Amino acid sequence: MESTRVITEMILDEAKRSAEGILQEAEKSAEDLLEKQKQRGVQKANEAAKILLSEAELNKLNSIANSKIKANWVILSKKETWIDNVLNEAKTVLKIMTKTKKYLPILEKLITDAGVILGGKELEVLLNPQDSALPLRLDNIAKKITEKTGFETKLKLSEQKLEVIGGAIVRIANCKVIMDNTFDDILRRGEKDLRFEIAKILFF
Amino acid sequence: MLVLLEAFKAIKEKHLEAKKIVEEATAQAAKLMNEAEKKALSVYEEAYRKTLSQAEQKAMDLKREAAKEAEKKLAIFLSTAENQAKGIEAKAKKNFKKAVDSVLNMILC
Repeated sequence: MESTRVITEMILDEAKRSAEGILQEAEKSAEDLLEKQKQRGVQKANEAAKILLSEAELNKLNSIANSKIKANWVILSKKETWIDNVLNEAKTVLKIMTKTKKYLPILEKLITDAGVILGGKELEVLLNPQDSALPLRLDNIAKKITEKTGFETKLKLSEQKLEVIGGAIVRIANCKVIMDNTFDDILRRGEKDLRFEIAKILFF
Repeated sequence: MLVLLEAFKAIKEKHLEAKKIVEEATAQAAKLMNEAEKKALSVYEEAYRKTLSQAEQKAMDLKREAAKEAEKKLAIFLSTAENQAKGIEAKAKKNFKKAVDSVLNMILC
């Protein structure tokens, strides 16, 4: 009887141990499953977070870069203002100079140069109203152009008047080809180079 | 003989009892896993939400910090620029006439 009791107890003990093992294993599997899911959630969120954080970091860099640009703009606009001041002052000096005796030979030279570039022959000279009243020696100028181009040149003052500081436009008669040697156009043509030159003189 | 029969009977009963214990444990284990599987989605979502919310908060903090830092930097950059501008102004005033003459030379010569 004693041995039967021992055997039956052994059977029950073994069953209990086995049941306990099954439950422990199930609990562990359940915990593992939940932990795995949790980690998956964290990992997925971290991927999205990475984008958010890099955007924030990028914003930071952008803001600093913008601050630098704003500061540089202060300096640049100051420089630009000074360059504009120089160009405006030059225009004022030119305007004053057109009312002096020094101007006439300069105007004649501008007309001569334009006439030579156009190759002489029948040319028309366009001036502003003030310069049209000057005692220009058009015959002398035409002679110089003839000498330089080798073509007989005639100059005629146009009735059309310009609104310019000074200088002249020379046009081939009955033709649309012109050479603009007004101060305004010379300044406009050379503005890019001039601004660079002015900056070199002003700031270095 | 009767004793032996009794013993076999007892062993068989215990064996059935043991089988029942194991079957119950197996059923409970299955139930546990079932519940865990049901819970898994909400655990995933909760972890995702919590982590993302923390990151969003961190990103907002970073943006706030960035704005403050940019403001400070701007003040520093502007102050440096103002100083540089003063230097530029001094040089420009000094060289102004020379620059105007250079423009006139270019036009008149």
